[in-house]
Amino acid sequence: MEYISIIGGGVAGLCIARALLDRGAKLRLFERGEGVGSHACSWWAGGMLAPYCENESAEEPVLRLGKESAHWWDKHTGLVQRNGTLVVSLERDHSDLRRFKRRTENFIDVGPDEIARLEPDLGDRFTKGLYFENEAHLSPRAALASLREKLVLDGVEFVHQEVDPAMIAADGLTIDCRGFAAKDALPDLRGVKGEMVILSSPDIELSRPVRLLHPRIPLYVVPRGDGIFMLGATMLESSTRSRISARSLLELLSAAYALNPAFGEAEILEIGVDSRPAFPDNLPRIQREGNLIHMNGLYRHGFLLAPAMARMVAELIFDNSIPEMMHEYFN
Amino acid sequence: MREFYGTKLSNALMLGTAQYPSPAILADAFKRSGAGVATVSLRRESGTDKAGQDFWAMIRELGVHVLPNTAGCHTVKEAVTTAQMAREVFGTPWIKLEVIGEEDTLHPDTFALVEAARILSEDGFQVFPYTTDDLVVAERLLRAGCEVLMPWGAPIGSGQGLNNVFGLRAMRAHFPETPLVVDAGLGLPSQAAQVMELGFDAVLLNTAVAKAGDPAAMAEAFSLAVSAGQLAAIADPMEPRDMAAPSTPVIGKAFLS
Amino acid sequence: MNISINGEQIDTSAETLTTLLEQNGYANATIATAVNSTFVSQGERENHLLKEGDQIEVLAPMQGG
Repeated sequence: MEYISIIGGGVAGLCIARALLDRGAKLRLFERGEGVGSHACSWWAGGMLAPYCENESAEEPVLRLGKESAHWWDKHTGLVQRNGTLVVSLERDHSDLRRFKRRTENFIDVGPDEIARLEPDLGDRFTKGLYFENEAHLSPRAALASLREKLVLDGVEFVHQEVDPAMIAADGLTIDCRGFAAKDALPDLRGVKGEMVILSSPDIELSRPVRLLHPRIPLYVVPRGDGIFMLGATMLESSTRSRISARSLLELLSAAYALNPAFGEAEILEIGVDSRPAFPDNLPRIQREGNLIHMNGLYRHGFLLAPAMARMVAELIFDNSIPEMMHEYFN
Repeated sequence: MREFYGTKLSNALMLGTAQYPSPAILADAFKRSGAGVATVSLRRESGTDKAGQDFWAMIRELGVHVLPNTAGCHTVKEAVTTAQMAREVFGTPWIKLEVIGEEDTLHPDTFALVEAARILSEDGFQVFPYTTDDLVVAERLLRAGCEVLMPWGAPIGSGQGLNNVFGLRAMRAHFPETPLVVDAGLGLPSQAAQVMELGFDAVLLNTAVAKAGDPAAMAEAFSLAVSAGQLAAIADPMEPRDMAAPSTPVIGKAFLS
Repeated sequence: MNISINGEQIDTSAETLTTLLEQNGYANATIATAVNSTFVSQGERENHLLKEGDQIEVLAPMQGG
């Protein structure tokens, strides 16, 4: 059987590789950076598998397809933590909590006692919240590394080389998963800048992602274990993939402080920024031109939707079906 | 309807462009509502970032009048410089002049506002000043060269509706010839309808649409409400009275006792 | 000479504002410029000579309410 080439070793490329491999394909994956690393947008992800919370602002497919993610990541990496998501707001922003409730499902209202039971380290700062029990989270870097490692063991050839998709496609079926780097081939694609911070705060313990609602700066804190927390993330319509602004940093850290003042003493381990590739409706797309298949536009739903998108690419190739996220218009 | 610096608007709804869930939804909101004016802003952009260029292309495609704002400006100098840059970028003399005096309520600094309005009007700008319902400030703005006034309904983004109907009514009465637009703080279409019933000429809103569950539908709802209010104002509404006055005639009813 | 664009310090050999913009990727972009908080119009850029320590703002369209 011929090789199928995948270009891009971020969450999109790795998930597609896994899905195609499981269908018996022979694969070669080209990546311009070696291994999983900071050159990939997925490196900076939160790792929340939160289809219900994301449904607050995303289109319906994100909820439905996102529900596949927790099981998929658990099956392929064993690194999923199923502790749900806690959503809170400051007293003055309780109207945002009410709005969040109206837009979401599959949660229960929690009061101060339940919040204290779920997350003792949030103290008594929050009198109201929402608990989404059926959500999960993982550590993105560990998950990507685990996925990649298994792909290598299972015989996928990883090639550290920047390639031109058109040239590779001339030789055989090729899947372009380059994220924002594919912008030239996908005129509709735009970047949505995200800035995040990784903190070390051993005095604080959280069991699950906590989302702090706020009219201007909604923030989430994701525990990575061992007192490490990921704080994210801004959403700025910008394709700039570097340079966090002082203002964004201030907003992120202020919000963390509002969650627990002990975050004020945290050590800042990393400051990260990248630009999430997105189409105008913020939904991912599969597009095909002959031998070249594009999968792109995962926006802020990389870990949440890559498994479903990978499944659809496999269906397109092996079952000759037209997947749901197939976009007819191309160029 | 009164004209805005010589421009007649077929739709009295003006929409902001910030905070929509996606560009597709923003475009949809404009199309569904038929809003004829979009407010826009400026920000720093690097040479490699094309986000601003893409956004501008999308707005031009909508074919609406563009009203740039001086959001985030706190001083006369900032506002004037921003306005000059906006005029060049967007190619219009229209400017929504915002000079903020207090961070929590985004209360206008009315003193700086009047000063900036004067400087800009003298420089050929067509100023739409975002102001309070203070009649003296309004008078000064007109004297400074503004031909339009944009008093607030409530603090920006608060969705409270009309906090001071009396103040707005007074403004309409004091400046019968001036085009008036209520800008900021509206949350529901009924509030927009009320603004138009008061005889105002347009409403400007952003958060009420962008943060609604279905922004495109909400934009359409606001558009309908604005039309309803406009028509009601033209149709000369009845006067409220204290006592009941039956609408069914009572003369000729048989006495049954 | 050392100047800053949008708050970022850079070293440039450009003599005029127009050249500086071209060198930094702004060639055909829809933008407006200010130098040391004073507006410099498109027509004036070619003749605007840069000085050491100049702070240049380059603004582009963005969403707003």
